[in-house]
Amino acid sequence: MAVTEDVTSGPINDRQQHWWSGLSLSSIPAPYWFVGVLMILLPVLVGPFMLFQVFGWALILGMIALSLMFLGGYGGMVSLVQMSVAACAAYMLAIFGDSAITQISLGWPWWIAIPIALIIATGFGTLSGALAVRTEGIYTIMITLAIASAFFYFTRQNYVLFNGFSGFNGVKPPQLFGVDWRQPIPFYYLTLFWAAVAYLSVLYVSRAPFGLALQGVRDNARRMEALGYNVTAHRIAAFVFASFIAAVAGILLVWLNGQVSPGTAGIGPAIDVLIIAVIGGLSRPVGPFIGAVIYVLLRTFALDFMVSIGLSGERFQLLVGLVFLAIVFWSPDGILGLWERWRNRMNATDKLTGEAHNKDGGSGP
Amino acid sequence: MKNFMARNPYWSLIIVLAICFLVWAIFAPWPPGFVDTFGRKKIFLNALFNGITLGALYFLVASGFTLIFGLMKNVNLAHGSLYLLGGYIGYDVANTTGWWLLSFVVVFVVVGAMGVLLQVLVFQRMEGEDLRQTLVTIGISIVVADLMLWYWGGDFYQILTPDWLSGPIKLPIVTAVKSSGEAVFLKYPYVRIVILVASIAVGLAMWLSLNKTRIGMLIRAGVDDRDMLSATGVRIQRVFVLVFAFGAGLAGVAGVVGGTFQSLAPGEDTRFLLASLVVVIVGGMGSIPGAALGALLIGLAEQFGSVYMPTYAVVLTFLIMVVVLAFRPQGLLGERR
Amino acid sequence: MNAIASPSTMASRLSGTGTANALELRGVSKFFGALAAMQDITLTVKPGERRAVLGSNGAGKTTLFNCITGDFLPTSGVVRMFGEDVTKFPPHDRIRRGLRRTYQISLLFGGLTVIDNVYLACRGVSRNRFSLIRPGRSDALMHSAADLIDAVHLGEVRDTLVSALSYGQQRQLEIALALAGAPRFILFDEPAAGLSPAERGDLIEILNNLPGHMGYIIIEHDMDVALRVSESVSMMHNGRIFKEGKPEEIEADPEVQELYLGGGFTHG
Repeated sequence: MAVTEDVTSGPINDRQQHWWSGLSLSSIPAPYWFVGVLMILLPVLVGPFMLFQVFGWALILGMIALSLMFLGGYGGMVSLVQMSVAACAAYMLAIFGDSAITQISLGWPWWIAIPIALIIATGFGTLSGALAVRTEGIYTIMITLAIASAFFYFTRQNYVLFNGFSGFNGVKPPQLFGVDWRQPIPFYYLTLFWAAVAYLSVLYVSRAPFGLALQGVRDNARRMEALGYNVTAHRIAAFVFASFIAAVAGILLVWLNGQVSPGTAGIGPAIDVLIIAVIGGLSRPVGPFIGAVIYVLLRTFALDFMVSIGLSGERFQLLVGLVFLAIVFWSPDGILGLWERWRNRMNATDKLTGEAHNKDGGSGP
Repeated sequence: MKNFMARNPYWSLIIVLAICFLVWAIFAPWPPGFVDTFGRKKIFLNALFNGITLGALYFLVASGFTLIFGLMKNVNLAHGSLYLLGGYIGYDVANTTGWWLLSFVVVFVVVGAMGVLLQVLVFQRMEGEDLRQTLVTIGISIVVADLMLWYWGGDFYQILTPDWLSGPIKLPIVTAVKSSGEAVFLKYPYVRIVILVASIAVGLAMWLSLNKTRIGMLIRAGVDDRDMLSATGVRIQRVFVLVFAFGAGLAGVAGVVGGTFQSLAPGEDTRFLLASLVVVIVGGMGSIPGAALGALLIGLAEQFGSVYMPTYAVVLTFLIMVVVLAFRPQGLLGERR
Repeated sequence: MNAIASPSTMASRLSGTGTANALELRGVSKFFGALAAMQDITLTVKPGERRAVLGSNGAGKTTLFNCITGDFLPTSGVVRMFGEDVTKFPPHDRIRRGLRRTYQISLLFGGLTVIDNVYLACRGVSRNRFSLIRPGRSDALMHSAADLIDAVHLGEVRDTLVSALSYGQQRQLEIALALAGAPRFILFDEPAAGLSPAERGDLIEILNNLPGHMGYIIIEHDMDVALRVSESVSMMHNGRIFKEGKPEEIEADPEVQELYLGGGFTHG
């Protein structure tokens, strides 16, 4: 059997289709159409508060958690620095662009300030990643946690650049094309657009050579070295990609809140992003968005609910912690994992749908 | 030691010079020019001693963390919660019985038992799944933190130093010479000296029992080769549970110590978890001497930072971590895998 | 020449060193603490040569492989590949120079399909490892990956997750990964371990049909397999090479027979 000599004439296998199937509209399954149309029509269905404070916030948190999911789910590196990267972009936009703190803000136009903010934040995330991936797996989470808290303390102590404890307020999106982008409906569509871009690009990259190689590194870093890959370079490149997504989300976040302060990127919010990604499910890019919607709904309405059943509203952390514990204990794949198991059971009992269930979590629509 | 000096002649020289300077700065009276730059000698000495005792506290917390990680590769991010819980329980025991020493015993047993629960209910079920272990322990620390807030509230607690330990003692170190020619000696809280000595004793005992006893050899063998350890017929799970209990108990005891010379409040759990992380990252994961060195460095950095550059004192410790990671990712005394 | 060999620019880049040995170890030792896993190994393998390394468990064979691929840095000694000193190179740089290896316990990507596994292997020694563009229908590397899969008889399970493959199939995939790109020299670590007699026959056939320029070292416990696929044999014991020769000579050697039939060797 000649392995390398007689291979030019092999026929192209038709099943290669699945390499580009993600690009064709007809291959998108019905539930995705449904969710997509629903998201676009949402402003008709819900009021401005839900649109802005709930869904706008959830989409932004979802993007930050998506960047964590990309690193964790595809790269096997759980990074707690993503929230800090987002906050870094927010700070940079406030410093280079406009804010109420006029003695620090440079007031440059948005088309300079935003790219600078994105570049600096991505650079910060990349450097953190470069430090974190030099050692083995589980160190990443500890090192990024330490870097995230360093960022928090630094912004809190530094008054020259970061304006210390109070941070910056009065950061507004530009008035572009005659639209006030801070109004609920325009802002919702703005975040929806960028969240969709981030989601689709993660989905696409996960099947591109770079994404495949990253999953190879996750499964078996040593073997990847033995196939000729520079594992460290791949891990750092993953941080570049993920940090960019988090940075874009950070810009949107500062527009949503109108302000950024050390508390934006404290240890609590950093852990919350992890909780969001894990509750939704780390195995697919849609998970973080599901987790974010659940988290924001809990944040917004759980207090009232808890008070109404006689518990003090202060026990919110307890609720979140217990939900999180239950998820990691019984369904490591998050809500998505629960859903899939339920669907599998349905499929197993329902003989009419002869469709084989696709167990590969990474392949998406 | 000789190896190190042969391999790193410059580093050895710098270290020796630094030690000589330190010894001089501690014992010699300071020339006036020196005082102008560095402030009074008393401030320097206080920062130095506070740094060392803080390092001792960090070591107590971090050594349990590094021991658990070193043997079982378990990353226990609830370690800070064990610290704070130990402190609170110690406060209650000391306050109701009036026996400071009793609180150590009670806390070691109770928190050690929690460690056993953690090992049996969480880590044993998820052996090898380090990501899941990390997530579960994060969840536990969130829940425990809120339960503690519920029960003990958001106030500051401080455990009273027993009478026989309170008050300062005079150290044979001259801080200044009065114009009358009379020497002023450094006074330092007695309880801190005792805690420092006790931490050193604990550290030495851990190091000796790891290196010189049969059970220590077994544990070290478990670090290097788990299969070999089970092949020798050792009940490895039992060793794991014991080590976990000991490490957790140590964190609890550290909580009592921390509650005595600092204070207890919500948020201290995260602070000490972070301190442990930084200490073991700097010192080297799984290494007891590494934890000692890391704890000393971080304690000193924090205290000197707060005296000489108060704004960025907290950031300084992280800066040390970043520098160590950049040049020696395995930590100062860690072994490269 | 063809799709698989398309990254052979590396081979041509070094073609000036055609007369150099494929592999040359000079006084290579590896200590773990005080324990000598491998001591003063000197070994020369010519281009295209097929060598078997035999020895008991713990004789240092896998350590030898790890030092050649760069998984471990040797404590002392020099490793040269095709005339170039690679002692300090990271593994991926050695792989890009034409070295390949298989693992005793299959190291595969269980969460990916067979084709993705092989595609990764082909991509690893080509350019654009960081490409963000998905490979299309006509991608050359996809062709070579598909052909390699057929070559190791795995066409049936192309799109199956590797974690769902049988043990024998995983061993075959292990070999396919090592053949990706343009290997010039391969290290096989007990490829026959755990295979059925029929599968062993297959393996011998695959190895014997490799193109003539492709040399390899094979670690094998099964003397029968080892001696049928090699031209020369090195015997290792306690971290040292104590005998080298042709397969017939080794088979007839009384000392080897003593070790193999006496207590010195433990199969496993």
